[in-house]
Amino acid sequence: MKKIISFILGGLAALTMSISVANSAANEVRVAYFLEWPSPNLEDMQKKAFAKALGVPVKWTNFTNGGAMTDAMLAGDIDISYSQGLVPFINAVKSKAPIKLVDIAMEYGMGGTTCVTSNASGITKANATELEGKKVAVPLGTMAEYVFDESMKVVGADRKKMDIIQMDPEEGAAALVSGDVVMACLFGGNSIKAATAVGTRLLTVDEARAAGILGIDITSVTDKFMKENPGMLRTFIEVTHEANARYRAGKSDMNAMSKASEMKVSDMKETLGGFKFLTPEETKKSMESGNLDAFLKGMGTPGGNVDTSFLPL
Amino acid sequence: MFTQIVTILIIVSIVGCILYGRRLVKTEKIDAVFGNPERAKGGTHWIIVGSSAILLIWLYYSWDIAKGFYPKSANELCQVAKINESLMGLKYQFPIEEREFKSTSVIKIENENLKKITIEIQNSPDLNNQQKLKLVGFIKKTSQLIPLLTNDSLMETNTKIKIKEMTDELRLLSTNFQKKDYPFETELEKNERQEAIIKEGGWGITTVQSGTGSIENTMEVPLIPSTNKGLKFDAAAKELKLINDKFFKLKNHNPQFKISIKQLKENIKTYRNNLSESDESASTYAKNIVKIARRIEFASIYPPTALDEMQDAIIEFDNLQKKEQGGLRLIDMLLFPAGTIVASGPSCSEQGSGRWLPKPSDTFNKFILMSKPSVGYKNIPLLWIDMMDVSKIIGFILPDWIADILPGEYPVHSKDGIVKQNFKGQVLKVVTGDFKLFKIPVPYGHIWDSFMRVFLGLIFGILIGVPLGLFMGLNRFAKGFFDPLIELYRPVPPLAWAPLIISVLGIDNTGKVFLLFMVSLSIMIISARAGASGTQLSKIHAAHSLGASKKQILRYVIFPNSLPEILTGIRVAVGMCWGTLVAAEFLAGTTGIGFVENVAKKYFQYEVIWITIFIMGMLGLLFDVTLRKIIDKTIPWRGKG
Repeated sequence: MKKIISFILGGLAALTMSISVANSAANEVRVAYFLEWPSPNLEDMQKKAFAKALGVPVKWTNFTNGGAMTDAMLAGDIDISYSQGLVPFINAVKSKAPIKLVDIAMEYGMGGTTCVTSNASGITKANATELEGKKVAVPLGTMAEYVFDESMKVVGADRKKMDIIQMDPEEGAAALVSGDVVMACLFGGNSIKAATAVGTRLLTVDEARAAGILGIDITSVTDKFMKENPGMLRTFIEVTHEANARYRAGKSDMNAMSKASEMKVSDMKETLGGFKFLTPEETKKSMESGNLDAFLKGMGTPGGNVDTSFLPL
Repeated sequence: MFTQIVTILIIVSIVGCILYGRRLVKTEKIDAVFGNPERAKGGTHWIIVGSSAILLIWLYYSWDIAKGFYPKSANELCQVAKINESLMGLKYQFPIEEREFKSTSVIKIENENLKKITIEIQNSPDLNNQQKLKLVGFIKKTSQLIPLLTNDSLMETNTKIKIKEMTDELRLLSTNFQKKDYPFETELEKNERQEAIIKEGGWGITTVQSGTGSIENTMEVPLIPSTNKGLKFDAAAKELKLINDKFFKLKNHNPQFKISIKQLKENIKTYRNNLSESDESASTYAKNIVKIARRIEFASIYPPTALDEMQDAIIEFDNLQKKEQGGLRLIDMLLFPAGTIVASGPSCSEQGSGRWLPKPSDTFNKFILMSKPSVGYKNIPLLWIDMMDVSKIIGFILPDWIADILPGEYPVHSKDGIVKQNFKGQVLKVVTGDFKLFKIPVPYGHIWDSFMRVFLGLIFGILIGVPLGLFMGLNRFAKGFFDPLIELYRPVPPLAWAPLIISVLGIDNTGKVFLLFMVSLSIMIISARAGASGTQLSKIHAAHSLGASKKQILRYVIFPNSLPEILTGIRVAVGMCWGTLVAAEFLAGTTGIGFVENVAKKYFQYEVIWITIFIMGMLGLLFDVTLRKIIDKTIPWRGKG
């Protein structure tokens, strides 16, 4: 009896300890990123240039969605999330997660995130109201859900009348191929490629851009890391912007990037074609009064979670 | 109030039951020796202790006890957290919670990096000797930058004055902080604050947006200080933030340092410009050296003793604010286990177990809200009744091709645009359920859908598994033929099929039920087979000599004999099916408990996640209790023969 009680108490004490210790900092920077989502700074990641610039080892971990990045940041396993989607970030700060937005990774048209209707269904932009009452695959709580919402406003279909099925991009593409859904909203080069093999984009990249549908991926950071290592954070963002400048100048090492993002060079170039990497000045403008600001306000995000002071201006 | 009563009741019942149990041990005379199952009989009081302990742990780790007994504590801790947030950057510069000065560790790291790059350059095959010499020269220059910063006599008076100013500000804050009426709030400010507090609401879920059907996260730690103690901390945090910002704007750059680093940068720049295209690696090395120099430039490196006074002032204030917290510190330590309230910019939040373990009271409120059919989750209620026409059921049962095989054609519209119904058309209407009969109530909703999936998977598993198992237990061909197949597929975890399901079976219920069917099938086959082959031979012989046919032996001897094994198999299968259900509904969800949990995860709705967990536990228990009743009814001879 006494042994059992002391065992239980000991277990509880250990649990309490382990939870509180989990947040202690290590002498390295831990960064989250996406595979199949190329960006110029992946070249620096591949060549370990970040570790050289920051002066400490940088550990990169790949994730499959932005929500998981937040979870890992809150658990104290990740310091910086690169190219987290804006929607997962907004969901996180709405639930009062102590993370901050410090940089825009990229803005993209519907090149990287899009809704694809199957050719068999015969649904296009012109008769999109036919989507009502049919099955649609959407990864809820991601950028794709935002794109879906906005696209439906453009084509004049009512989201509430559709049968929305929660599916990750890979599964959504598979369901579109098998004909289970008439439309799948997805992101990621390989998924979009699989979906467009049997379908067409509901809105072309240009149409989406004209309608103001814009995806924004951001760099977010835990409060703790931002407060304790402002220098490192500034360097991280600086190196990223250097890589972006190199990409704009056409001097990026495409092979290293494709290796890091695990994509074929040709596919990667196509995906990159839909991305816009902003200069520090453009980033600041977007964060203060441009696209990002409008997006955050449109989604009812609580203020004070954006910090422009780390941009290399 | 409710939480307080529950907590006290739980503690009283735990203590009472333990005392009762101990007394029982002393007074009760037990003849049974150790190992006799009689000794384990009875003991309702231990059940109470066990379940109360679970509740108590939940109340404790979700910080509901803190909320119940000290509803203001979160708000006060939020103000304390604001101070911690403001102090975090400053404190990190000193060996207060770290082992060494930030300056020391930066110098250590950069010296290490310089050494590394030197070795790399020396060993690089791409560089010629002249380049190596030049680059190593740059490195030497870079490492000479550090003493320029750490030399006390080189430090500018201006910088010294600024540090002194900040130290004085910290000291002034410490003296003010001790005063009773700090931060000297006017009556007007106070009234404004009181109004804002009422508007903001209390800790936890206070407002419920019913009607809109939205289950939003309303978890909130009130931000505006509502007590005098909290106000003190809030005001001090604001002042500290200013000092903190001032400190990080300050750079310990003296003229000598500025000249040296400018010279170094220019030298490297001209060197890189003069390099030809083929000397790329030399250029890269030079660039990396500049990076280290810039890191040294931007790091806050100070002479070893320059910040001593400031450090003392910070420690003094830190101790003071800890003392000022008083009882709050104790509450934080005891009632906020495994985490605390953390301030982040404009908001305070629960970080630690309070974040992912929602409070029982909040969870209960949210469950009540979700149970309302008008709210539900994603516009579908948890469990509700819909009136459905019986014709739909008839239409579902009758196959549609009945209409197709009738002679004749389906009606075609006439010139006037009128469709005249004929017999074939009428039949089609009947078989597709397109007519009106009376309506009956049919349950629907997330819980019902999950329940039906498990139920169907189980039924199909039993219908196919039991006959096949019996057959395999009795027939050499069946055993030999099916054995390798079954044995190959049985050890495969059911979730291993999941990636294939969508491509093969689509996203409807078929795939999910199939996954559950796979789980129950193997268990049913194994148990039926074991039951059949375990029948006592004497019983079969007895039946045979009494003239029973093969069919009769199977029906009256073998089947009843294997029934205990089969029913135990069903109980195991139910448990496994619930285990697989969540994953099955993760696949492509529109309804179901697993779907609710999956979506709630994306929006960080921890209460909803826990509600789904409880619902699943309850449903599993319900299944199990029902099965136990069935077992007691159908095989009363179990364990007695």
